[in-house]
Amino acid sequence: MKLVIIGNGIAGNQVAFDVRKKDRHARITIFSAETVPEYDPCSLPYFLGGECGRTDVFRKTPEDYTTHNIDLVYDSRVVSIDPDAKTITPHAGGQVSYDKLVLAHGGDLFTPPIPGIHNPGVFSCKQLAETEKLAAHNGRSAVVIGSGAIGIEAAEALKRKGYAVHVVELMDWILPSLFDEPTARRLETALKGYGIHVFTGEKVLEIKGTGQVTAVVTDRRTIACDTVVVATGVVPGTALARTAGIDTGRGIPVNRQMQTSVPDIYACGDCVETIDACTGETAMFQLKHNAIEQGQVAARHIVGEKTRYLGAYAFARAHFFSTHAATFGKTQRATDCILGDKRVIEREDKDNYLRVMLLNNQVVGGQAIGTFADGLGLLIGAMWRKDDFMEIAAKMRTTPRGGAVHTWPMLRLGNLLGF
Amino acid sequence: MKLRRDHLSIDPEKCTGCRRCMIACAMKHHNRIDPDFSCVEVIRFASQDLEMPVICLACETAPCIKVCPMNARIRQANGTVVTNTEVCIGCRACVYICPVGSPRINPATGQTMTCNLCADESEPWCVAACRQERALTLCTEGAASKPAARRAAARSRAGSPRHY
Ligand SMILES: Cc1cc2nc3c(=O)[nH]c(=O)nc-3n(C[C@H](O)[C@H](O)[C@H](O)COP(=O)(O)OP(=O)(O)OC[C@H]3O[C@@H](n4cnc5c(N)ncnc54)[C@H](O)[C@@H]3O)c2cc1C
Ligand code: SF4
Ligand code: SF4
Repeated sequence: MKLVIIGNGIAGNQVAFDVRKKDRHARITIFSAETVPEYDPCSLPYFLGGECGRTDVFRKTPEDYTTHNIDLVYDSRVVSIDPDAKTITPHAGGQVSYDKLVLAHGGDLFTPPIPGIHNPGVFSCKQLAETEKLAAHNGRSAVVIGSGAIGIEAAEALKRKGYAVHVVELMDWILPSLFDEPTARRLETALKGYGIHVFTGEKVLEIKGTGQVTAVVTDRRTIACDTVVVATGVVPGTALARTAGIDTGRGIPVNRQMQTSVPDIYACGDCVETIDACTGETAMFQLKHNAIEQGQVAARHIVGEKTRYLGAYAFARAHFFSTHAATFGKTQRATDCILGDKRVIEREDKDNYLRVMLLNNQVVGGQAIGTFADGLGLLIGAMWRKDDFMEIAAKMRTTPRGGAVHTWPMLRLGNLLGF
Repeated sequence: MKLRRDHLSIDPEKCTGCRRCMIACAMKHHNRIDPDFSCVEVIRFASQDLEMPVICLACETAPCIKVCPMNARIRQANGTVVTNTEVCIGCRACVYICPVGSPRINPATGQTMTCNLCADESEPWCVAACRQERALTLCTEGAASKPAARRAAARSRAGSPRHY
C-alpha cells in the first residue's frame, strides 16, 4: 500500500506512525510545507517567551522518520490532487501516486484585510518559522490583534520578553469563543494586573509604517508600537480539497472513519468538520487532542481495522503568569439558541471563579479560574455521562454519614458545585 | 497498548484519612515530610464524614498526554504517566482534563507530579504506609484477573468517563 499524507503536523504524524506500527510494509510519504520535523504549535508561545528552548517544541527528530522508514519530503507544498488518477502534485511539480491519501494540512492563519497588514514588523505565531522571526525581532512595544487563546499566549510571551503589550479585541470581551463575559472580565482584570493593556470592542483600522511598523490605528485610538502580532484565528484549509472535487463546508466534512466524500481520501486535524462527541452537533474545535484522536482513527481504518470516531470535544486552558483557567463544552452564549431549561451555577471565592452551564439539569459546559478549575475534569465526566444534577443534589442530602462510598464522584461534584 | 504491569487499587471504604500515604509519597519522592509534596491527595468530604484517596490511575487513553502543550506527560515502561520536569511549564491543562483531577502541583516549582508507582522499589511507599488499613493496595498484572481485585480497581475509577 502506498500512503501519502499531506501536512507534517500533529494529525499527519499520528497517522504515519500509527500506520507504521501496524503495517511494516506500507510505503508512507509525508509532504510538508515546512522544513523541520514535527513540532507542537501549542509549545510555540512558550518558545517565544523563553520558557522553553527551540528543541523542546519538537515532537520528532529527523531520525525518527528514517528509523520508522517514513519518507518525509520537506518544503514541498502540495498544490493539487487528482482523485481520478490518484495522484497529487507538489509545488515543485512532478506527480506522485497514492493508494490512500490523508489530508492533514491543518488550517491557515486568518489574515484580516487591514491596510498595512503585510508591513515589516507584522508577525504571527502559527508556525515555527514565523515564530522564530518574531523571537529574533528586537522590539519594545507590541500590539496583538485578536484575543483568542493564541493571542493571549503571545501577549504573555512578549510581556515576558520585556515588551509593552497591548491586546486589541473586536468582540466585547477577550477569549470570546471560549469564555462568557463574567469569566472573561475576570481574566481581563488579571491580564491588566500583569501590566498588559487590553482594549475590547475595538476594531483595528490600519497598521501604520510601510518600512517598519510605527503604530496601530483603531476606531478609538492610535497605539504607537514597533511590533504587531496577528492572532485573529485559524481557518481550516479547504481550498485544496475543494479544487479536487472533495465536498467542503466550513471545513472538510468527514464520516466516523475520517473518510471524505471521495474514496480513499481521508482527512483529519484542523482541516476537518466533524461532530461534537457530546451533542452530535457539527464541531470544528481545532484542538490538538482532537487532531491526535482523529489521526488515530484514520490510521486504524487505513490498516483495515474496525473503528468509529466518537467525536471531538472542546477543552481549552487559558494560562498566563500565575493565572490558571480552563473551559470545556459550551459557553452560555452558545446555549442561547437552544430550547430547554437552562441554569448557570456560579461560585466565587476571592480570585477563584466557577461557572457551570446546565441544560435540563445536565452539564453542557463549564469555565473556571483558579482552585475551582482543579475539579473541572469531574464536570467534564459528568457531561459525558449526562449526570442528572437534581439526583446529585439529592445524593448530597441523603447520603448517610460514613457510608455509601461509591457515591464519591457525585459527592465531589456536589462539593464542587456547593450543593 | 500493552496493559501496564501493576495497578494501584483504591478502596475508599477502608480509608481512615490518616494521610500516612501522603507523607510516605512526599518522603519517597521529595525527601520531605510535607503532604503538599505528595502525588496522593486524600480528599475529605466533611458533611458525609468520608475520605477519598485520589491518585493518577494511568488511564489507558490518558487525556492528559494529549492536551499537554509541552508534550511533558510521558507514558513510562511500567505503564504510569509522569511529568517530564525538563519541559513542563506548569499550565495545569493536565489537571483540568483529568477525570479525577489527580495531578498535583509541586509547590516549589509549580509543575505537576503524578504517581510512578515508585518504579524503582519493590512496592510503592504509599501501599506500605497503608498496610494496616489496606485502602491502597497493589494489584499486580496477574492478580488483575481475579474478580475481587478487578472489582476493587473498577470501583476506584468509577469517576472516570468511559469515553476516555
Ligand atoms: C500558537 C498555537 C497555540 C496552540 N495551543 C493549543 C493548545 O493549548 N491546546 C490545543 O488543544 N491546541 C492548541 N493549538 C492548536 C493545535 O496546535 C492544532 O489543533 C493542531 O496542531 C492541529 O494539528 P494538524 O495536524 O491538524 O495541523 P498542523 O499541526 O497545523 O499541521 C499542518 C501542517 O501541514 C502543513 N501544510 C499546510 N498546507 C500544506 C500543503 N498544501 N502541503 C503540504 N503541507 C501543508 C503545514 O505547514 C503544517 O505543518 C495551538 C495552535 C497554535 C498555532
Ligand atoms: S488523565 Fe489523570 S488519571 Fe489519567 S493518566 Fe492522566 S493524570 Fe492520570
Ligand atoms: S502542567 Fe506541565 S505536564 Fe501538565 S499540561 Fe501543563 S506543561 Fe503539561
